[in-house]
Parts: sequence; structure tokens; C-alpha cells
Amino acid sequence: MCRCTVRVGDGVTGSDVAARRLGAVQNPDGGFGPRAGAPSEPEPTALAAIALDDPAARAWLEANQRDDGSYGVVDGYVRDEVATGLAALALDPGSARERALDRLEVLEGAPADPNEAIPLDVGLLGWPWTRDTFGWVEPTARAVLALRLLRPGSPRVAGGVALLRDRRAVGGGWNYGNREVLGQELPPFAQTTAVAMLALHGLDDELESEGASALRRLWREEHTGTISVALSLVVFRMREEQDEVRAARAALQPLIEDGDPLGDTVAEAWAVIALGEHVPFREAP
Amino acid sequence: MTPDGRPARGHEHEQGDPPDHGRARDHGPADPSRRRFLRAAGIGIAIGSAASVGLRLGGVIGPDEPAWDRGDFPEPGTARVAVLPASSYGDGLESLVLDGLRAIGADVGGARVMLKPNLVEYDPTRPVNTDPRLVAATALALRRLGAVSVTVGEAPGHRRDLHYVATRSGLLEALGEIHVPFVDFNTEPVRRVELQTRYTPLEQLWLPASVVEADVVVSMPKLKTHHWADVTLSLKNCFGFLPGRVYGWPKNVLHWVGIQNSILEIATAVRPDYAIVDGIVAMEGDGPIRGSAVDAGVVVFGDDPVATDTIGATLMGFDPERIDYLAEAGRFLGQVDRSKIDDAGEPPDRLAQVFERAPTASTEGRSG
Repeated sequence: MCRCTVRVGDGVTGSDVAARRLGAVQNPDGGFGPRAGAPSEPEPTALAAIALDDPAARAWLEANQRDDGSYGVVDGYVRDEVATGLAALALDPGSARERALDRLEVLEGAPADPNEAIPLDVGLLGWPWTRDTFGWVEPTARAVLALRLLRPGSPRVAGGVALLRDRRAVGGGWNYGNREVLGQELPPFAQTTAVAMLALHGLDDELESEGASALRRLWREEHTGTISVALSLVVFRMREEQDEVRAARAALQPLIEDGDPLGDTVAEAWAVIALGEHVPFREAP
Repeated sequence: MTPDGRPARGHEHEQGDPPDHGRARDHGPADPSRRRFLRAAGIGIAIGSAASVGLRLGGVIGPDEPAWDRGDFPEPGTARVAVLPASSYGDGLESLVLDGLRAIGADVGGARVMLKPNLVEYDPTRPVNTDPRLVAATALALRRLGAVSVTVGEAPGHRRDLHYVATRSGLLEALGEIHVPFVDFNTEPVRRVELQTRYTPLEQLWLPASVVEADVVVSMPKLKTHHWADVTLSLKNCFGFLPGRVYGWPKNVLHWVGIQNSILEIATAVRPDYAIVDGIVAMEGDGPIRGSAVDAGVVVFGDDPVATDTIGATLMGFDPERIDYLAEAGRFLGQVDRSKIDDAGEPPDRLAQVFERAPTASTEGRSG
């Protein structure tokens, strides 16, 4: 990724630095790759479209939607679809967005048998990372986020919330998927907790309150990770927790000034969103 | 062909090429000295126990129906493995690694080397990861042996925020001090690699371009028990080559088609040239994350990952031939027969301990 020479100061904000660096890696086709120079892909393009309010990125999304309305990187036995919700949020109102939402409404995780080593409600299917596999926290949260904002009446929203409730870590927050394995409680992570919190906003007061409490602790423990801090800042801005906003913003600034986070366009885009003027994901775009 | 004129690692496709499922492809030249990513015609689906929460244990295809074509895999030959004692991660690690690599005859002169540690999680209380000091020492040793470049890369299975794990674990700092680049496999362009084996219905894998294009790949795991696969060593470490943005966090589809089957598929596709196992402080019990530290006091070097894992399992007190995927790998991918593994270091049996096994390890692999 481009290491732009622009620095914070003299009227240049951390948001400016991140936005310029993000804009510099846009591909000629209008999309964004997962890192500089990589072919354009849906997830970084969707997030960059939201972060930069970029019409060329939206056009790329319009042009690269699968026939069934989904978005992904590969298609075969392994078929990823997890960018579909973010793409729906990035797209302008219209048929492409509706087809993406239609796809989200029919996609679900594959059923599985109970396993006493991993106690969870296998009847809650949620959304998978890849087709015909189990439903997990982050894909489910991304889908619920899109449906909450763009199709609030979808019957799938309640099922998604139920899965997030079932999978929450003991004491609050979310691991990447399970609450307990082989009798051991799994710890929650900042990044997965923040994604779940984006989805749940306004849907479940108790879960949100518990998750927010966990996130206030987790992001501080994981303050060296750009995507964790950026996502946490988005959540705290959405929830109008001003003390947390100030602290998380202060933590994010040096991560941005130190340079690109491992060349990860997705992390950079989340940083731009977190520091941007408007708070997305509170209300429908 | 790669930019410096070396042959590419195998039959791969650029990102964006259309998928071609179900069609046999022409195989490249059968050159066993080069890594090949070729596809065998037909698909054999090997599913073990019933799916439970996205997890299938065991499930290695039966011995009467090879999941590979004999023409693609010559009989495993003699391997060389060196077990070197090492009591700490203090001074002298680079010399130790040099000794180990020389003992196994590692040839990295002029090569672009990809070094893949096992970076899973940050937990200051447990030896979860390959120690960054040993990774850095290995990078320096590889340079000393003539590698034109050494890159370290990883794609942890359940941590999207690699920036966090790589900083807190100390890996980025250790590599930065010696100017060794770290690459996040999750964000690399991917290449479609056709599988040579039929343990799963996957048919192909999506691998980071830098892995496919590397001249030499070194798998560098931690010596650990694993609650779904008995042990996690250089073959299981290959899961971390696959990018999360394709396979997810976790890479659930690989569990769905059988963990042990996936280990075989991925290890065969990547085909690490060398393995270096960090057993200075190892993990027993509920590995690969929640287990306990054990002072094993060894680093294991091998020119054959299967043979290296065989010795690694022996050092933990397991019978390698009773670990399903390892025994199966010994049929075609590398050497599990101890009589055909040259001990180029200390005798493994003398340094072996009896590790506490993981609570639901899938086989009865404990010897004795």
C-alpha cells in the first residue's frame, strides 16, 4: 500500500491521512483490492465506497455482482459470500442492492448435529463464511447489519439476533464463533464483538449493553490492532459513548500515522469510516 | 515462469480466471524435484464421522482406495531429520539453526524463501506461537546460507486482526529489527491451485501468490498437541497458508470436509521443502491454544515434513503411525518409517517425553 507522505498537523487530520492513503490504492477499474496492486474485490471495494463515498467503487460493485445477487472472491466448491451485506450497504438504492438483499434472505448456514464438546443451539443457522458450511458470528452479524438497515422487516433478523445471543461469550462479547469448547470458555475478541455490536444496534438492549461493556475492555487490550480499534470506534460513535470515542480516537491516530496496517485495505477503510464526519450504520444509508 | 527465470511452483491460475470444476487439466512435467500443483482427474469424497457444528474428525480415506495417483508420487525415500537440544530462546539461536539446517543438507542458495511460523493468538501465559526469536534467528540463518530473500507470512485461523496478533506477539518487532518482511496471507492476491489428491471434494485450493511463487517453503510450527488432530506440527501448520478472506475465520469449510483430510490436501498442495519445529517450550494438554507449557528443550529440523512430524510426534510420546493423517501421509507424501529417517542430530527417543494428550484427540495415538 502507498505510504503517503502526508502527516497529521497543519489542518491535516488523521482521517485525511487515512483517506488519502486509501484513495491512492484504488484500481483503475474503480474497485479496491485487499492490498495495493491486488485485483479489486467486493469487501475492500464496498468498505472503500462507504468510507470515501466513491461512485467509481459503487460502479465496480454494480458491475461485479454475481447472478444470484451475492458478492465474493472465489466460486467453486468453496464459494465465499460474506461481502454481500457490506456491498448492499455500499450500493445506491436500486436493483443491485435489492438482489444482494434477496440473496442474504435466502442464504443460511448448513445444519449440523449437536456436539457436546461445543454446546450451542445448532437449530440457529445464521449465515456461513462459505456456502454449505456452518453459520458463524461475523457473517451473521454482517448480514443482520445489512438487513437491519435496509430490510428491517426481514424475518431473518430475529434468527440472526438469536444466534448472536446463543454464541456470546460468558460475560459478554463474542469470540469468532463459539462460547465454549471442551469445557473451556472461549474469550471474546474486540473485532468480532464490534462487528456483532454494529449488527445489534437497537435490536436487543440487554445484548447490546453486555457487549458494550465487554468492548470497553477488549479494545484497550487489543489497542495495537488497527481494525479492532477502528471498528470499536465506529461502535462507540454509533452508541454516542463520548468518553470511549475520545479514547479510541486517540488510540487510532498513532496507528494510522505509523503507516498502513500490514497493507490491509479493509483495515484502512474501517479507519477512514471510524474517523469520518458521519457515523454510518446507525440509520439506513 | 517467475521473474527470475525459475519455473513457477506448479499449475496455478491467476485470480480472476474462470473456475473449471469437473474438467481434467493437462499435467505439467513430472519433475519431482520441483513443487507441483497438479490436479488428478476425478474426485473422491472422504467424509468421516457425521458433521457436528461444522467439524468432522478423522475421516482419512481407506487404505484400499488411494486418494492419489501413484504416477504423481514416487515412493517416499530416505529423509533426514535433526533433533537439536536447546534450553532457551536466548543467545546462540542463529548458530543453532545454522547447525540444524546444515545437518539436514538444506539448500537455499539463491532461493526466495517463504517462512511460515505458527502464529495463532496472543496469550502471554501460554506457548501458543512459534517463538518470534526463533523465527528471526531462522531468517538470519537462511540468509547466511545464501537465500536471496526471506519473507515471513501467516494467515491465522480465527483472528481477523492479524495486525494485533503480529504486534503483541512480538513477531513484527523481531522481524523489523532484522529487516525481514512480513506478509499477511489474508490480503495477498490468490492463485487457484489444482489438487493432486482426492481426500476432500475441494478439487482446488486458493493459495497466496507469494507462496506459490516462492522457491523454498519452510513450515515452522510449534510442538503442540491438538484437540482435533492429536498433534499440530509442520503438516497441520499448512492450514495457515490459506487466506481467511476466501475460507473465513475460522476456515470452516476445511473442517467441514474433514480436518485430517484437509491437512493432507493442503500439505500436498503446498509441499513444504523443509520443516523446523519449535520445541524449546512446547504445549501439552488442550492444544493448540489452551494447553500448558512443557519444557521439551528441542528444535527439530527436517528435509521432509512428514518425517519431521514423525519425529515430532515421537518426541511427544505419540506413536506416529497411529495418528491418522500422518500415517496416511507416509504412504505417498513423505517418510514415516523410522528405519528410513536418518537421525542427523540427537537420538529422538532419548529426548522424548510423555505429553499430556488433548482431551478429545481423535485417535489413540499414545504409544506405550
